[in-house]
Amino acid sequence: MKGIFSYLICVVLVLLGGNTRSLAADAGADFAAANKLYAEGKFADAATAYENILKTGVQSPALLFNAGNAEFKAGRLGKAIAAYRQAGQLEPRDAELNANLAFVRNQVQGATLRESRWQNWVGSLTLNEGTLLAGVFFWALFGLLTLRQIRPVLAPRLRRATQLAAVATIFSGAVLVLQAANHFNGAIAVVTSAETTARSGPFDDAQSAFTAHDGAELRVLDRHD
Amino acid sequence: MRFMFKIWFALVAATLLEGAAFAATFTASLDRDSMTLGEQVTLSLKFDGAQPQDAPGIPNIAGLQFQYVGPSSSFSFINGETKSSITFNYIVTAQHDGEFTIPALRANIGGQQLDSPPLKIIVYKVTPPTTTAVNSGNEIAFMKFAFPKPKVYVGEPVVAQLKLYLRDDVQNISGFQMTSSTTDGFSAGKTAELSNQRRRVQIGNRVYTEIPLAMPLTAVRSGAFSLGPFTASVVAILPGQNQGGDPVFNQFFNRGEQKQLTLATEVVNVQVLPLPEENKPADFSGAVGSFEMSATAGPAKVTVGDPITVRVQISGRGALDTVTLSTQDAWRDFKTYPPTAKLETGDQFGFQGTKTFEQIISPLNTDVHELPPLAFSFFNPEDGRYHTLKSAVVPLTVQAAGASPIPVMAGIKNSTPENQPPQDILPIKEKAGTLAPAGMPLIGRPVFLAAQVVPVLAFVAAFVWRRRTDNLANNPRLRRRLAVAQLVATGITDLKKYAAANQPDEFFATLFRLLQEQLGERLDCPASAITENVIEEHPVLRGASKATLDGLRELFQLCNQARYAPVRGSSELNSVAMQFEKTIGGLQEVKS
Repeated sequence: MKGIFSYLICVVLVLLGGNTRSLAADAGADFAAANKLYAEGKFADAATAYENILKTGVQSPALLFNAGNAEFKAGRLGKAIAAYRQAGQLEPRDAELNANLAFVRNQVQGATLRESRWQNWVGSLTLNEGTLLAGVFFWALFGLLTLRQIRPVLAPRLRRATQLAAVATIFSGAVLVLQAANHFNGAIAVVTSAETTARSGPFDDAQSAFTAHDGAELRVLDRHD
Repeated sequence: MRFMFKIWFALVAATLLEGAAFAATFTASLDRDSMTLGEQVTLSLKFDGAQPQDAPGIPNIAGLQFQYVGPSSSFSFINGETKSSITFNYIVTAQHDGEFTIPALRANIGGQQLDSPPLKIIVYKVTPPTTTAVNSGNEIAFMKFAFPKPKVYVGEPVVAQLKLYLRDDVQNISGFQMTSSTTDGFSAGKTAELSNQRRRVQIGNRVYTEIPLAMPLTAVRSGAFSLGPFTASVVAILPGQNQGGDPVFNQFFNRGEQKQLTLATEVVNVQVLPLPEENKPADFSGAVGSFEMSATAGPAKVTVGDPITVRVQISGRGALDTVTLSTQDAWRDFKTYPPTAKLETGDQFGFQGTKTFEQIISPLNTDVHELPPLAFSFFNPEDGRYHTLKSAVVPLTVQAAGASPIPVMAGIKNSTPENQPPQDILPIKEKAGTLAPAGMPLIGRPVFLAAQVVPVLAFVAAFVWRRRTDNLANNPRLRRRLAVAQLVATGITDLKKYAAANQPDEFFATLFRLLQEQLGERLDCPASAITENVIEEHPVLRGASKATLDGLRELFQLCNQARYAPVRGSSELNSVAMQFEKTIGGLQEVKS
């Protein structure tokens, strides 16, 4: 009975692994086809092709980067910025990505949100990197505290290291909280239509405050269905 | 204090109730029954002995405007008689001269209908002073309106002048306010004094101070219109009658006589001409004035879909805020984005300055070789003709997106000066990288979060262990208690082993030693000093139960007997071991 159960588990794992590999292989072929469309100057078609790959559930920084390029060349600044921002969450220190994002942002007309220097700094780490960094400092802090309990004679020598670990834990924890809030709350919205009227209240007939153009990035204060 | 408050409350309540018993009255009054156009009077609606919740509504009266300014109330308590009243006040202004009647107003107070008497008010027309009156020097202040030309075009901005004249004996003025500005057919901007242009002029036999006020006007529809009369109210401060003392001192402390004045100008007739339809350019978008244009576009070498920034500057005199860039039909091979505009005005009215447009366009195909000239048409009211300005043709080199060599980023950095902005986005990536499903980030995974509890638990365990170790190190009695407990636990096992092996000598030797150790720990004295006598002598054991003490005595006696009659059976030794276990349990509960 036990042998049959193990065999079934192996079969399921093999099938799952094969399915994932097959999915990645298909996506790779689709990616090459989308790149070809882009090279032929069929930017709108290329953008659709990249979007179709993303709809299958897979993603990579390069895929989102190329999707952003295609959207920009197709004249859709907002969708380009949205794709670049998604890529930035996976690979925030990619110089080419940041250059393209800055270039497209410069084309946006009218009011848009400009992220401050510290926000850019916080965004230079992926959420997982921030999580691991905070985790390492957290473990180091509690490791040192535990060691001080087990070997009190080492406490004076570990004092400075413990203080540093505590400061690093608090700082990295704060950064992680900001990153997580940004990631899970979706605090920034990107306008993807040609023009959007921002109103002073959550009603269709509320007084219009300003017009946001395609690509404008706005801070989400509240949501309204 | 509390008693006094109750008395006060009772008095007030009684007073109010008594007041309510009086018959309520309702009266309406004006602070004066005539005024000149531009002035205002106060209408007071007074309720005696009644407290309506809201201000009564005033019916619409053609030509009069009412503005509610708030209530005022009074309360009196004289010789046991109380009176209370509330008055609702309104500011009344007239829109034209004539005689007006405010009809009887009705108020419903607690089911009682109260009517006020009707009121009449006469509004006199304000007339500008005649030339004779001005020249005679009798006018303390007057106004003149000057429009620069008799005919203007629709959309043409004009700065008219309103001149305020103050006689030389006017020490100061306050509260200058335009009360009516009739500018039909024109949109009027904010009236402002022209700085540093006050001057003194001789009019008749008096000297007046001329204060010029600029009034920006833009004609909005064609036809014959009358500008004015413009009326204003102002308080002039004149030297007081029979006022002694130093005039400088009097002026400084504003001790002069204040006089409310109503000023009016003559009516000026203006003809507003429509823009001619003849020779009207197709791209004309309504710009009226005199303008110049300059335009730049770049970069000139692009690939299909690349952005080109077109910057257009339109400068000159006219209604710049209405100047827009019209759709350029010649740019059909370009995708165009809405332009942004920035206005920099050179005067306080916004009629002169520069408007800068920035528009992003991108070529749609490689057949584009130039940016066709940008056209801007306007109507110049000075010569009554339309003009069209055209920018120069900008040659362009447009390459296919796939055909252009794609530079790598490092190449761009090396070949491009640092201060030169990039001309295009960097190319796509050839390799997709690791295509993986978008998973939940680490911080959202329960396993990762649960793992973070491990170092905390380790620390807590170490902390507890450290406290326990420190307690033992600092408490010898505790340490001894634990050691004896351990010794007794192993000793009981040994006793059972000796009993099973029927080894009475080892059994009783161990039993005696265990009794000494346990009693020594309880009594806090060396184990070697323990004999049977301590059971009777030591005060600590007085707290032990009788069974425990009897058990101890019996165990000591058995140990002594064993020296002389060592032969025992296993069952007897087992029962002694059980008795020892029970007695030791009782002993361990004795407080030391």
